[in-house]
Amino acid sequence: MLTRDRIGALLMLAFSIFYWLQISDIKLLAFQADAAFTGRTIPEILAVMGVVLSVALLLRPGSDAKLEVTGFHWRRAALLCVLMIAYGLTVRPAGFLLSTSLFLICSILVLGERRVWVILVASIPLVVLFWALMTQVLGVYIAALPEFMDLSR
Amino acid sequence: MMEGILSGLSTAVSPINILMVSVGCFVGTFIGMLPGLGPISAIALMIPITYGFDPATGLILMAGVYYGAIFGGSTSSILINAPGVAGTVATAFDGYPMAREGKAGKALAIAAYSSFSGGTIAAILLLIAAPSLAVVSRAFQSTDYFALMVLGLTAVAAFAGKGNIIKALLMTVVGLMLSTVGTDKGVGVQRFTFGAIDLADGISFLLLAMATFALSEALMGVLRPKSDADRLREMEAQKNLGSMKVSRDEVKELAPVVGRSSVLGFFVGVLPGAGATIASFLAYGIEQRLAGPKKGAEFGKGSIRGLSAPETANNAACSGSFVPLLTLGIPGSGTTAIMLGALLSYGIQPGPRLFEENPEVFWSVIISMYIGNVILLVLNLPLIPYIARILAVPSTVLLPMIVFFSLIGVYFVSFNTFDIHLMVLFAVAAIALRLLDFPMAPMLLGFILGGMMEENLRRALSIHDESWSFLWERGLTLSILILAALILFVPMIVPRITAMLARRRETAGEGG
Repeated sequence: MLTRDRIGALLMLAFSIFYWLQISDIKLLAFQADAAFTGRTIPEILAVMGVVLSVALLLRPGSDAKLEVTGFHWRRAALLCVLMIAYGLTVRPAGFLLSTSLFLICSILVLGERRVWVILVASIPLVVLFWALMTQVLGVYIAALPEFMDLSR
Repeated sequence: MMEGILSGLSTAVSPINILMVSVGCFVGTFIGMLPGLGPISAIALMIPITYGFDPATGLILMAGVYYGAIFGGSTSSILINAPGVAGTVATAFDGYPMAREGKAGKALAIAAYSSFSGGTIAAILLLIAAPSLAVVSRAFQSTDYFALMVLGLTAVAAFAGKGNIIKALLMTVVGLMLSTVGTDKGVGVQRFTFGAIDLADGISFLLLAMATFALSEALMGVLRPKSDADRLREMEAQKNLGSMKVSRDEVKELAPVVGRSSVLGFFVGVLPGAGATIASFLAYGIEQRLAGPKKGAEFGKGSIRGLSAPETANNAACSGSFVPLLTLGIPGSGTTAIMLGALLSYGIQPGPRLFEENPEVFWSVIISMYIGNVILLVLNLPLIPYIARILAVPSTVLLPMIVFFSLIGVYFVSFNTFDIHLMVLFAVAAIALRLLDFPMAPMLLGFILGGMMEENLRRALSIHDESWSFLWERGLTLSILILAALILFVPMIVPRITAMLARRRETAGEGG
C-alpha cells in the first residue's frame, strides 16, 4: 500500500540515488589517489546512509496514514510561488520600491483580500518605511528606482 | 572568570545592548504570537539585521528574540488556544481554561512570573555550569568533537522524530548532504555545484533556515488557511483580560513548583535535542503527579500549577540549551543551531575557546538572557493587551508580509537574486516534506554541523595517520559514540523487549 511514509521513502530514495550518481563528478586530485579521506568520502558515506534509511522506511513505514492533500488551496500557493519568482526577476531591474510594492499588492490580492485601503496601506507605506529604515538608519544601500531612472549608475 | 563576568556585564548593560534586548523581546513576542511561527523563524527573520552589529550585540538581540518568541507563544496559547510554538502547547492546557473563566490577566501574569523565575534560576545555573563545562571541554580533541556532533545529531533525530526515528535520521542525512554542496574546504574542489557559480560558496544557512521554516510555514498557511473569524471571535472574547494580580497564597503554592520545574527544565535543555517542548511536558506530568489526587484533578481545567510548571520549564530549558552551544560549539536544538550559524557567520567559533578568546561575547549573552527575562516581565506583560492586537491582523495581509521579510532578509545579505529562486525551490521541497510528516529541525542541524563534522573527521584522520582506529581506541570518543548509539537504539529496542516479556508472561499465565 502506498502510504504517506512509503511515498516519502521513495522520494528520499530517488534523492539519495541522484546524490550518489553525482559523486563521480567530484574531481580527485593526483595526490589523493590512495588517501583515506578525500572530497568524496563524506558524500559516499551519506549516499549509502540515505539509501539504507530510505529502504528501511520503505519496508517498515512508521504508520499506515495516507497522504492527505484534499481541501488545500494549491492554486493560491502556486500563484504565490510564481509571484516570488517574478519578484526575484524584477527586484533589480524595476528597483526595490516598485517591485516590492507590486509583489505585496499582488500577493495580498492572491490571498483573497479585496479591500483597496487594506491592500494599499499594507503595501506601499510599509515598503517605503522599510526602505528608509534600511538605507537611512542601517546604512544598507538599496537601489530604490528602476535601473533606467537610477542616476548613480 | 570574574574579569570576564564584569566585561560581559559592561557589554550587556551598554545602552545599545539594553535597547537591542528590549527590541528583541518585543519583536520576538510579536512573531512568537503568530500561530505557526516559532523562535526559529523569529530568529531567522532577525539575522539579516544583526549582520550590521558587532557579534555580542547581534547575539543579544537574537537571545531577546528567542525569549520573546517563547513568551509570545504562551500568550497566544492562553488567549486563543493557538500555541505559536511546540514548547508552549502544555501552557494552553490550563492557561486557556483560565482565560475562558475570565482570568486571562491572571493566567498571563502567572505565565510571565513563572517564565521570569525559571529564566532567573536557569541563568544562575548557566553561570555555574557553562564555565565548568568550558574548562572540561578544553581536553577535547577533534575526534571527540566529531563524536559529540554525531551524538548531537542522533539525539536531535531521536527526540524530533515523534515516534518515527528513521524519518528524522533521513532528514539529518539530507541536511548533511546539503552541507556538502559548494567548494570542499579541505582540498578546494567543487562538489554538487552543477557548474553554477552561485553554488560555489555552498548554500547559505540563512537561506535554508528561512526557506524551510519561515517561508514554508507561511506557504502552509496559504495552503491550509485557518479561519480568521474564529481567531477574531476568541480575541473579542478575551478583550477584558481581568486582574493581573496573583495572591500571596497562590505565590506560596507556586514557589515549589517553580523551583522544581526550573531545575528540571534547565537539565532537560542541556541535553542535546530535548529542549523546551519535552521540558514543558515533563514538568507538567511531574507536577500533576506531585499535586495529589485533589489538586491533580484540576489539571487541564485551569490549574495554576498546571500553567506554571510548563511555563517555568520551557524558559529554563531555553537557557539550558545554550550550555552545549556556548561551551562545546554544538547546538542542542533547532533554535540554537540557527544561532550557531549566525555566530559562525560573524567569524566566531563557539566552544571552549569562545570562553577564553571572546569572554565579553560569552558572558554578555548569559547576562543579557537575564536582562531579557526582566524586560519580558516589566515591559511586555503590561503591554500584552496591545501586542495581542497583532492576532487581529488578517492572514491575507500577514502571510505576504512574512513571505516578503523572509525573501528580503536573505536577499539583503547576498544581493543575489539567485538566492530568492533557490529559496522558493527549498520552500516547495519543505512543504512536500512537511506534508509527508518529515521533521525539519534535524535537517537544519545536520546542515549546520555537516561542515564542522567533516573538518573534524579530516583532522582526526590526519592526526592518526589516516587510520579510522581513533573511533574505538580513544576512550572519550568511544564513550560518546556508545552514548549516541544508546540514544538511537534504546527507544527502538526497549518497547520490543517489554512487549516480548509481556507476551511471555501471558503465555506462562495461560500455561500455569
